[in-house]
Amino acid sequence: MADALTLLWIPFLAAVVLVAIHTYFGIQVLTRNIVFVDLALAQIAALGATVAFMLGHPAQGIASYAYSLAFTLVAALLLAFSRRWAGRISQEAFIGVIYVVAAAAAFLLVDKAPQGAEHIKQILTGSILTIGWQDLVTIAVLYALIGAVHAALRGRMAQGSWGWDFFFYATFGVVVTSSVALAGVLLVFSFLIIPAAIGLLFAEKVGRQLAIGWAAGCAASLVGLLASYAWDLPTGAAMVCVFGLALACAGLVKLRLRWTAARYAVAIVLTLSGAWLMIAPRADHPLLDGAEYVFPGIRAIYMGDAALAAYKDADEQAERYRREVDKLNEREARSRWQGQALDEMEVRRISSFLTSYREMLKGEQFVMREVRVRARERVRWLLGGALVVAGMGGLIQRRRSNSPKG
Amino acid sequence: MVARAARAALFLLGCLLGACGFAQPLTVVTSTTDLKSLVEIVSGDRVAVASLVPAGSNAEEYQPRPGDLGRLKDAQLVVRVGADYDLWLDALLRQAGNPALVRGGPGYVDASFGIALLEVRGAAVGAQGGHAHGSGNPHYWLDPANAEIITGFVLEALARVDPPSAKYYEARRLAFLERLAAKLPEWAAALAPVQGRPMLAYHNSWAYLARRFRLNVAGTIEPRAGVPPSAAHLAALLRKMSDEKIEVIVRQPFEPEKTPAFLAAKSGARVVVLAASVGVVPQATDYLALFDYNVKQLAAAWPTH
Repeated sequence: MADALTLLWIPFLAAVVLVAIHTYFGIQVLTRNIVFVDLALAQIAALGATVAFMLGHPAQGIASYAYSLAFTLVAALLLAFSRRWAGRISQEAFIGVIYVVAAAAAFLLVDKAPQGAEHIKQILTGSILTIGWQDLVTIAVLYALIGAVHAALRGRMAQGSWGWDFFFYATFGVVVTSSVALAGVLLVFSFLIIPAAIGLLFAEKVGRQLAIGWAAGCAASLVGLLASYAWDLPTGAAMVCVFGLALACAGLVKLRLRWTAARYAVAIVLTLSGAWLMIAPRADHPLLDGAEYVFPGIRAIYMGDAALAAYKDADEQAERYRREVDKLNEREARSRWQGQALDEMEVRRISSFLTSYREMLKGEQFVMREVRVRARERVRWLLGGALVVAGMGGLIQRRRSNSPKG
Repeated sequence: MVARAARAALFLLGCLLGACGFAQPLTVVTSTTDLKSLVEIVSGDRVAVASLVPAGSNAEEYQPRPGDLGRLKDAQLVVRVGADYDLWLDALLRQAGNPALVRGGPGYVDASFGIALLEVRGAAVGAQGGHAHGSGNPHYWLDPANAEIITGFVLEALARVDPPSAKYYEARRLAFLERLAAKLPEWAAALAPVQGRPMLAYHNSWAYLARRFRLNVAGTIEPRAGVPPSAAHLAALLRKMSDEKIEVIVRQPFEPEKTPAFLAAKSGARVVVLAASVGVVPQATDYLALFDYNVKQLAAAWPTH
C-alpha cells in the first residue's frame, strides 16, 4: 500500500486540479451544447505542434508550444464566428468538421516524417500516472489564473457577445491543450463532461452544480486510481470507466429507483437466463459463468461426481502445463546472461516443448468447457425452469405489492 | 541558357537509352529496413531494394499505402520478417496478385525460416498445409549470428531469380560473413563489462541481442504490446529497480518517452536510446552500423566506477 501511496498521490492531486477546472468548463460546454469542442481544440493544437515539428522545431520546445497556441487561437476565432453564421446547422456539426480535418491534416503531415509520428501521438496520449510535480504545479497555477479571470468576468461573459465567445474558446483551448498532453484525450473528455453532467442532474444554481460535480469527480478519480492499482489495469482507461459508472449511478439515483425496481430487474435477468439455458445450453451463459467464477463450489451442485472429477483433473493438468511453460521460459531467459548459455539445439528443444505444452493446455481447456457444457445440457430443463419460475415469481410478487396502491 | 537546355536534353536522352538498352533491373521488396540492408549486402548494386516500412517507423503498427501495391507488383522477390511480425504483408501480397510472390512461390522469402525462435507462444493462427509453426519473439535479426542464416536464404532466392549473377552474390555474402566474424568478438569484448547488469526495456525487443551478448533485460515497461502500464505494474517495476539495482532503461526513439522518463526520475536510472532496426537512429545506416551503435550505447550506459 505504501507503494500505491507514493505512486498515486501526484496523479490524484492532478486529477483534482483537472476536475476543478474541467467541471466548470464542462457546465459551460453542456449548456452551450458543444460537447465535442474539447476534442476539436485538442486536435487543432496537435496539428499546430505537427506543423512546428515539420518546420524543424524540436518536438517539445517553445516553438512547438507557440504553434499549438496560435492554431488554437485561430480555431477559437472560427468557433466564435461559427455561432453567428451557423444558422440552421448545429454548431456541433461545425466542431466535428474541425476535428476530422485537423486529425486528417496532422496524419498527412506526419506521414512525411515517420520519426515524428510518435512525438505527435504523445500530444494526444498523455498518461496521468506519469505526471511529475512540476507539471502539477504548472497546471495548478495556470488553471487557478484562468478560473479566477473567468470568475471575475462571469457577468460580462454571460452577455454572449462575439468577443467574449472568442475569449471563452481561447482560454478553454489553452486549458484543454495542456490537460490532454498530461492526461490523454479520453480522460480529459471524461473530466470535462461527466462531473458537469452529474452537477447539472442534481442542481439548478451554478454554485451547487460545481460543488456536486467536484465531489463526484474527485471521488470517481480516487476510486479509478485505486481500482487501477488493485486490479493491475491501465490507469486512464480504468478511470474513464469509473467515471462512466459514476454517471450511471447518478442516473439511477435521479430516477429514484427503489428496491422493488431493482428486484424487477433481477427477476427479468433470471427469467431470461433460465429461458436461454433451456433454448441453447451450449451457448455462453454470462450469469452462470459469473456465478461459477465467484463461487466455484456451485459446480459440485450441478455436475455429477464423474464430471466433477474430470473437470478438476483437467483444471489441475492445465495448471501444471502453465507452470511448466513459465518454468521453461524462465530458464531460457535466465540462460541468456547467467550460467551456461544454451545452444541453438537446446533453444529449439525448449520451443518445441513450449508448443506442445500450449497445445496440451488448449486440450485441457477444451475438456473443461465440454464437461461443463454437458452438465448444463443435463440440467437445462430443471435449472432453466427453476430460474424462470424464480424470475416470474419475482415479477408477479411485484405486481401484487403494487396492486393495492393502484 | 542554351548550353543548359542542351545538357538537360542530353541527360533525358541518356535516361531513355538507359531504360531501353538494358533489361529491367531486378527489384526486391523487403518488409523492414533491416532486411533491406541484408539484401543489399548480398546483392550489391545489381538489384534495387526497397523497404515497405520507412526507416524509423514502428513496423508492428505499419499501415500500408497504395504505392506499396505497385512496388510488390513490379518486384521479383519479397523478403519478410515473418513470425507474425509483419502480418499486414499477407493482405498486401494477396491484393498485389504477383504470382511469383505468393507463399511458397519462387520469389517469396520468409527470413524467420530456419531461425531458432525464442519465447515461442504456441501454434500460430492459420496453419499452412497442416504445418503449424509456433510464432515466437520476432526480433531475431538482433542476434548478429542469425544474419548468416538470413543472408543464406537471401542468396539462395537471388540466385534463383538471377542465375547469371549467382557467383557475384555468393562472393559478396562470403565477404560479409568474414566482416561479421571479425566484428562479433569486437562487440562481445566491448559488452563484456556490462554482461549480466540488469536493465529495463520499454518493449520486449531485445531477447536475441541479450542472448548473444549475455545481457540481462530484467523487465519490460509495456506489459503487452501497445498496452500502457498500470499503476500496479509501475509500482512492481520500481520495487524491482531498487531490489535488483537497475540503473538503465532502454527505449527506441519512437517509443513513448514519458513512462521511461518517469521511472528514471523516481529511481535515478538513466534512459538509453537503442535502435532495434536500421535507420531508427541516423547512426544506424546499415546492418553492421546498427550493432556498432547499440554496442556503443550499451557499453557506455552504466556510470563508470
